[in-house]
Amino acid sequence: MIEVKDLFKAYPGVVAVDRVSFRVERGEIAGFLGPNGAGKSTTMRILTCFLAPTSGSASVAGFDVLRQSMEVRRRVGYLPENNPLYTEMRVEEYLRFRARIKGVARADRERRVGEVLERVGLSERRRSIIQNLSKGLRQRVGLADAIVHGPEIVILDEPTIGLDPTQVREVRELIRELGKERTVLLSSHILSEVEKVCRRVLILSRGRLVEQGTPEEIAGRLVRTGRVRLEARGDGRAIKEALEKLPGVAHVIWENRGELHGFAVQCADGADPRAGIFQLCAGKGWTIQELAWERLSLEDVFSILTAPPAEAAR
Amino acid sequence: MSNFLALARRELGVYFVSPMAYIILTALLVVAGLVFVFSVSAAAAERLPADYAPTLQWTCVVVALTSALVTMRTVAEEKSRGTIEIVLTAPVTEAQFVLAKFAAAMVLLSYLLAVTAGFALILSRYGQVDWGAVACGYLGVLLVGAVTYSAGIFISSLCTSQITAGVVTFALVILLMMANLGGLFLGPESAVAPFLQAVSLTENFGDFLKGVIDTGRLVTLLGVAAFFLFLAVRVVQSRRWR
Repeated sequence: MIEVKDLFKAYPGVVAVDRVSFRVERGEIAGFLGPNGAGKSTTMRILTCFLAPTSGSASVAGFDVLRQSMEVRRRVGYLPENNPLYTEMRVEEYLRFRARIKGVARADRERRVGEVLERVGLSERRRSIIQNLSKGLRQRVGLADAIVHGPEIVILDEPTIGLDPTQVREVRELIRELGKERTVLLSSHILSEVEKVCRRVLILSRGRLVEQGTPEEIAGRLVRTGRVRLEARGDGRAIKEALEKLPGVAHVIWENRGELHGFAVQCADGADPRAGIFQLCAGKGWTIQELAWERLSLEDVFSILTAPPAEAAR
Repeated sequence: MSNFLALARRELGVYFVSPMAYIILTALLVVAGLVFVFSVSAAAAERLPADYAPTLQWTCVVVALTSALVTMRTVAEEKSRGTIEIVLTAPVTEAQFVLAKFAAAMVLLSYLLAVTAGFALILSRYGQVDWGAVACGYLGVLLVGAVTYSAGIFISSLCTSQITAGVVTFALVILLMMANLGGLFLGPESAVAPFLQAVSLTENFGDFLKGVIDTGRLVTLLGVAAFFLFLAVRVVQSRRWR
């Protein structure tokens, strides 16, 4: 479990994290989403005890990151941004070293290293020098390191950055696996990424937590004014005029496509005029080809939430 | 303790997978070897007993001057590669992190000195060697090394670039070696002169060369080394708060 309260971190002249509060429950996969420089990495560095917050508090697995930092570190597996590794070491040598400094008992070390190598699919490369591995394989070494001591909580900073699509899919699969038994917090600036693995999304923008919830919740909450797409056959002008008179309709854009007319119906706040539209068309004998509620994708939400202030005001 | 040993072992490994240990060993053997040959043959020509002191003295100079090469990467490289983040988010304290680097450097130094001790063995085959004085001299070299290495680790902890760390460490070591000259220059009435004399590596090493273990010298050298290591630990800790 991760609990963050009013977390604030300022570097000289820059506020990196601005009063952020959130919780990630045990066994949950949560994703930090935000453009570069939104404060994702800083927050993760505070949670992993690499940095101290300027103010506010954070606890990981029930231990305070400042006062019980060693307890936190023993329970967290961390993959930092850019995956730094001691590249002159061999894969299994590196993992043995890491297992040792993370306090894995000597008797269990060999078995644990074997297990994680198996899990990330590096068993055949265990004798390779890390320097000579491809980027994707190095990423797996970093992931293996993050879980070698069987941590309760796994924190992954941009785990799929720079990987090819196949590798991205593999890593995603691995993260899903991890999420079955552990708490996972990952970060990304790619939406589809987070949407695919995370049950909960935390959107950060310029150091602030601007939204949190499931992808659907966030989209739903943000979209007070919905939009309905209608395709119908009949007299286009008449349909447009009739639609505009319907309750709950704010504005109609008509797109003439000959026989078939397309309409984008902008709804009034909180209104859902779909039933009204159906009845109207049925009554007038206009054939409905399509009637759909346009759901705002997380992508749209993201660009709205993280837009620079000037653009958001417009 | 297990943490500390694992970290120190990794550090030591780095010296031997990179050419650094071999470069320093070569420099040491060439310089000490030449001095050894010249000093022994000079003594033989004058029909004087062979003196091992010049060899020890130059061993000490080479150790001090190469300490920048040994220590410049220690912390700076971890910072520039980002690996400091994986070490210090594992259950490792900053003190363990810094002291493991120091311990590894000292083990490397002991190894280097053990190899150069071969000259004393050669000498003992042909004449009398005062083993007490030789051991005392080597202890002096180790202590001087402890000071220059800890200074180097401290400088490295302040830098992100290894090159910067190396250059600054080299300059600092020269200053530490020549501090006694500064003392002489300022004259006996100056307030800082006694201090400069006291911390000068040359002054401190002189007694060990004579085969004397002076408690004051011992405490000074160990104290200066401990001081630099303390500073290095503090610098590494401070990153959390910046």
